[in-house]
Amino acid sequence: MMEYQDQLKLQSYLDGELPEAGAREIAARIEGDQEASALLNELAQTHKALAGFEDGIKLPESREFYWSKIQREIRRQEIPAPTRAPQVPFLNRLRRFLIPATGVAVISLLALIATKETGSGGGDASVETALQDSGAFTYHDDTAGATLVWLSYPADNEIAEDDDLNSLD
Amino acid sequence: MTEIDHSSAEDPVLVKAAQAGDMTAFEELVVRHRDKIYARAYSMMRNEEEAVDLSQEAWVKGWQRLVQFHGESSFGTWMTRIVINLCLDQLRKHKRQRTESIEEMNEDSGGVERQMPVVTVNPTAGLERSELRQRIDRALGQLSHEHRTVLILHEFEELEYKEIAKVMGCSIGTVMSRLFYARRKMAALMTDVRRENWK
Repeated sequence: MMEYQDQLKLQSYLDGELPEAGAREIAARIEGDQEASALLNELAQTHKALAGFEDGIKLPESREFYWSKIQREIRRQEIPAPTRAPQVPFLNRLRRFLIPATGVAVISLLALIATKETGSGGGDASVETALQDSGAFTYHDDTAGATLVWLSYPADNEIAEDDDLNSLD
Repeated sequence: MTEIDHSSAEDPVLVKAAQAGDMTAFEELVVRHRDKIYARAYSMMRNEEEAVDLSQEAWVKGWQRLVQFHGESSFGTWMTRIVINLCLDQLRKHKRQRTESIEEMNEDSGGVERQMPVVTVNPTAGLERSELRQRIDRALGQLSHEHRTVLILHEFEELEYKEIAKVMGCSIGTVMSRLFYARRKMAALMTDVRRENWK
């Protein structure tokens, strides 16, 4: 029985993959070796049988239907994907925190000044913040009969709008 | 853009027009080559529905990459390579989902093809074309996808061993071994089918 490597060489010979010297060697062997000759013949038969096999395979869909699906997919993939909502830059996020914080500090300072001017250190003065609007603060002093409302500017929603505009640049 | 008669224009003219955005020219190319592209996908996948889907995907990719086609090969060959790559990707996905077949284990452990008796009669002699096609079709369906792919790339695509090795990501030795097994198995299967028919 032929060695496996020889069988593979025989196949390479059939496929024209052997260098000239190797091809000559195999050709000489085939002449006097029935087994090699029979195997070569079998491999060649398979090669011949497969020739033109795909020519008989036809697309099982009509031209129009097939093309319409391709065209639709091409157009679908041409539509740009929606972009993600822009990230709010760090500085703007810091501003959102600092503005209300500054507001609190200013009101505290005003309260302190008012207390000193009226000379009363009593507990009639109070600072309030509205839960619905974290940017609004109310200072009320019963003794001085004064009410001061402080609004942070720009408002948070305005900052957000500014961010959107910046991100489009 | 100069008006062209799409139905009579040659492929390179249509390709150029399609590269400039003429979708009607591309449609004409699809019409001309659709059977060939589908046939290659079907040979590799052995599933009509999957072959239709993959061939369509190949056309979409073809349109998107058309600017990269410079005519080094024919348009049909270029498109065929696209569909082959898509099929190989799909087959790799399939392989990850299934366990190794006994056939593959046989090949890895040395190959049963060495011991197969040589088929001395021509199993295809005297057959009608349609009968021959059916027989080949059935035999191809019984090969593992690795063996079938090597056979297709060699016999239909006429690629050399080294080109097949590159496409499939394996050694030339593996290509030779798979091709040898595939051919021998095909010969045996086609003979078996014929014997069954004689009974």
